[in-house]
Amino acid sequence: MQSFKLKIVTPRSVFYEGEAVQVIAKTQAGNIGILAGHTPYVAPLVPSPLRISENGTDFRTAAVSTGVIKAEKDRVTVVAGAVEWAEDIDVARAERSKERAERELAAKKGDKEFERAEQRLKRALNRLSVSGKL
Amino acid sequence: MATANMKDVKRRIKSVESTMQITKAMQLVASSKLRRAKERALAAQPFFETLYDTMSDISNDPAFKSVYTKKKLLRSTLIVVIAGDRGLAGGFNSNVLKLAVSHAEELKASGDKVSVIAIGKKAVEFFEKRGYDVISAYPQVAENMDIYDAEDISEEIIQKFRSAYFDQVDLVYTTFVSALSQTPVAVSVLPVKDLGNGRKHSSLTEYDPSPEEVFDSLVPQYLTGLIYAAVVDSFASEQAARRTAMESASDNAEEMINGLSLLYNRARQAMITQELTEISSASLNDSQ
Repeated sequence: MQSFKLKIVTPRSVFYEGEAVQVIAKTQAGNIGILAGHTPYVAPLVPSPLRISENGTDFRTAAVSTGVIKAEKDRVTVVAGAVEWAEDIDVARAERSKERAERELAAKKGDKEFERAEQRLKRALNRLSVSGKL
Repeated sequence: MATANMKDVKRRIKSVESTMQITKAMQLVASSKLRRAKERALAAQPFFETLYDTMSDISNDPAFKSVYTKKKLLRSTLIVVIAGDRGLAGGFNSNVLKLAVSHAEELKASGDKVSVIAIGKKAVEFFEKRGYDVISAYPQVAENMDIYDAEDISEEIIQKFRSAYFDQVDLVYTTFVSALSQTPVAVSVLPVKDLGNGRKHSSLTEYDPSPEEVFDSLVPQYLTGLIYAAVVDSFASEQAARRTAMESASDNAEEMINGLSLLYNRARQAMITQELTEISSASLNDSQ
């Protein structure tokens, strides 16, 4: 299968740089799969599992927080606040941040706090589900 | 008299020596922290470039409009000030705070309402004491800043920006030029402007769901990245400033020790000479 250059960058580092055959990401509208030769495309990502295949059959999964995916002629770039391989996720930390978000949601503060807590809960749940601990 | 003086000098040498030990240790700690901070600052570069490129691509579209690019209507500005958590870093804190105050006064003079978000303990204390409208304070985040901390700060700014608490956001922090030079800077962050490279053209890129929505979802991330980078940059500057300050303190201490040792040796020599004179004149008196 044809491959393309995939690059995943976060403020912390260039998380991944290499050849890939397919990448599956989740945008606001739903899952999209990108293969080599995709039309130029840009879409925001929601906190979700990002699946990458280097050979077309096996997929590696990583948790992304909000970000953006950008497909150009022969390469795809993912920019995200944070990306972690499923096996590297700090489950305890994710649990803590989930509990904190749930507490804040239960406290029923203002709309803004609610929205922030909701975002945090989404991120935490995403990390937990990617790591398989949910 | 000579003996009392010698004791004093000896005590001073001891005290300067122990101070020098502390400044030397601080210098070493700052150097190693500086190295790590520089790496972090460097690692954030590609993230920025990609986001910035994407945003400027979108804004090149002629029909493009966004709440984040609209012109200033209200006269209300938020200043995000980043300073250190600790002192003993030469002019680091006072330089950046001085710039922040003069920037705020300038805005006030032109009729703007000014509010402040203070990052770093020194900035928090400074602005609270001076009666500024500090809408939130984030002390002690710089050293272990991670992207989620930056996200919290940027979410707060975005929400207040969107609900029109203010319509301009400026960032005041210290940028790391070199190990010897750190400059405080004030940069305008929101509204987003000067993005396009001037060429207006509609691109063939497909934006899902629309260029505006992609852009609007990028801005908070861009801001998060900016804040993260500024904090990391400022932290690197703080360490560099502290290292330089501690280096010159150690040098000064060494100079003082040298001077005092000279004094001590002189006093000792004078005492010996005096004793010799006394003994020899005494023996001279005896033989007569």
